[in-house]
Amino acid sequence: MNQGLSKPKRKFDEDKAFPHIMLAPTIVVMLIMTVYPIAFTIYYSFTDYNLLKAVKKGYNFIAFDNFTKLFQNAVFRTAIFNTIKFTIFAVLAETIIGLLIAVFVNSLPKGQKVMRTLLLLPYLLPTVTVALAWRMLLSSNYGPINQWLVDMGFKDMANYNWFYHIGTAFWTVWLIDVWQNVPFVFLLLYASLQGVPTQQYEAAHLDGANMFQRFWYVTLPNIRSSIFLCLLLRTIDTFRLFDKVNILTQGGPVNTTTTITQYLYAFGIKTLNFGFGSAGALVMTILVLLLSIPYIRTAIGSK
Amino acid sequence: MKKFAVIMSLLLALCICSVSFAQEPETLTLLLRAGTYGEVIKALIPEFEAAHNCKIEFSEETFDDLHTKISMDAINAEGTYDVIVVDGSWKAEFIDNDILADLTELGYAYDEDIIPATLPAGIGPDGHAYLIPFFGNVTVFMYNQDLIDKYNNGVVPTNWADVLTLAQTMKADGVDGFLLRAGAGDNNVSDFLPVLKSFGAWVMNDDYSEITINTPEAKAALQMYVDLYKAGNMLDKDNIVAAINSGSAAMGVGWPGWGAEHYTTIPTMSAEGADPQNSSIYGCWFIGMANNSTHKELALEFLKEVTSAEFQQSTVEIGGVPCRESCLLNEDSLKINPNLEVVYNSLAVGTYRPFVTFWSEYYTILGPYIEAAVMGQQTVDEALDAAQAELAGLL
Repeated sequence: MNQGLSKPKRKFDEDKAFPHIMLAPTIVVMLIMTVYPIAFTIYYSFTDYNLLKAVKKGYNFIAFDNFTKLFQNAVFRTAIFNTIKFTIFAVLAETIIGLLIAVFVNSLPKGQKVMRTLLLLPYLLPTVTVALAWRMLLSSNYGPINQWLVDMGFKDMANYNWFYHIGTAFWTVWLIDVWQNVPFVFLLLYASLQGVPTQQYEAAHLDGANMFQRFWYVTLPNIRSSIFLCLLLRTIDTFRLFDKVNILTQGGPVNTTTTITQYLYAFGIKTLNFGFGSAGALVMTILVLLLSIPYIRTAIGSK
Repeated sequence: MKKFAVIMSLLLALCICSVSFAQEPETLTLLLRAGTYGEVIKALIPEFEAAHNCKIEFSEETFDDLHTKISMDAINAEGTYDVIVVDGSWKAEFIDNDILADLTELGYAYDEDIIPATLPAGIGPDGHAYLIPFFGNVTVFMYNQDLIDKYNNGVVPTNWADVLTLAQTMKADGVDGFLLRAGAGDNNVSDFLPVLKSFGAWVMNDDYSEITINTPEAKAALQMYVDLYKAGNMLDKDNIVAAINSGSAAMGVGWPGWGAEHYTTIPTMSAEGADPQNSSIYGCWFIGMANNSTHKELALEFLKEVTSAEFQQSTVEIGGVPCRESCLLNEDSLKINPNLEVVYNSLAVGTYRPFVTFWSEYYTILGPYIEAAVMGQQTVDEALDAAQAELAGLL
């Protein structure tokens, strides 16, 4: 009798344990790769940890001093403003241009594959290559763009330095970023457009809808969730903008292109003040989350 | 029989493995500065590998990445890098944190041929040698000969007031008279320092107990820098050299490793009749050994050979700028690079950036303020007063 009772109980336990066992490797990897670094960052953000000094002299718990220093620092405030401004303008431009190109390519009766391949090229290039290529194109000495402008009659542009003039540095970096990332949005939306049922277009056509109405009432609702996904992914990625700024302007001139990551690199990584850098990284993570919440909510809501 | 065969095979495999391990050559890892500074060291590698039956691996980094990589590796008990290239301005920070091996303790001693003025950045507070100079980087005054001939009868100005007057004349004619290096931080601070020193100002007082960046002399120096920008332009290093060599710009502060065609000693006076100052700023590159190196003996051999007079002499052909008197004033060297005499003269009377542990933080803070003044976002007074207040927090 007892034997008969214990058997189903063991089976029940095994069933319960099985999913946990299956999930265990993933949880372990997550703990090591995600939870530990986050916990480490949070912990050190409350200390004056300096990589070199800590070996000999250790480090101290300084509560919120790093955060106070951060927000009292005018350069950090400028970096936050620049990052948000850059993210908003870049993500909007990339999404609008990417969407327009995707709709255009999707409407082509022929040559979609060729267009798709050609349009993707900028996104396939490494960021460093893109930055260096644009630096050469816009060089004040041997750059073809300045030369072309001079030939067009803009004589003052001969020695114009796009990356070190307050009025143009930010927008030049922005333009390069948009140029490189439009293909990503294009690809995602193009794939989404392929899934829009043609019957809906045919029905709209029969109802007398014009091109704009077909786009507004058929295309957009069908690819809405993909657009929000693009906005979310591009926001997160653009918020971390570093390589282009570091190579092209190093945050200058006069901090007009300083982003949060560039600031953290200059004042946290280069100076090895990892405690201070961790505090900045935390602030940045919170900002990205805050910016992403509306997208995530809308995307989830649309599903 | 089968068992015997398996055991014999295993033993044989073990023997082969141990023999191959025994013959594995020692590997020395170098961490180098990218550019000419690294090229002159890499030139020794094939010969050294053959002579010492070892293997050499290397990594080349930019200025900032070099500092970061050295520091990151220093906290390991056993270091990745054995031989490291170090900027003179990092000495205090690195010695204070035990990053560098004491070369004197390992049996090294400087010889008399090394220009004595370059040595302080290699010597620790205990008087021991930690770093050896191998590239005589020092600020110089670059110019385009044709433009100087055209606008100043071939006479290169020797004080900043004359430089400004000449640059303004050229600017009025559509030529960039003077070029400033872009990039807030080490770039613009390093290139501003010669002007600062010429005006009798400096970044700190002699015993490093006080920040002195907003003195009247420092403000006059920054005003000069602002005026020089108005008579020219601000470009990155490669464009500065290209512009001056091609004649689209006339003058600028530079470094011997940049590849400018013409350069001379940096102006030492603010204006005609002012007291001359040691305004050549040392930026010598040093080579040393990581304290956590696991191949100290071999690394020391490498250091000795790469800084030897014979090898240093051979690097002149590939753009090297030795720190040895015998190499800089050698007739063969001067035939290859006549500018080496200028370097020698500049090295003899230069000034070091302060040996303080927070120098990298200092220039990271000061750089944007210089840029703000130059770009007209702040007045000279506002920029330097604000810099002074922020920098005081480092002490």
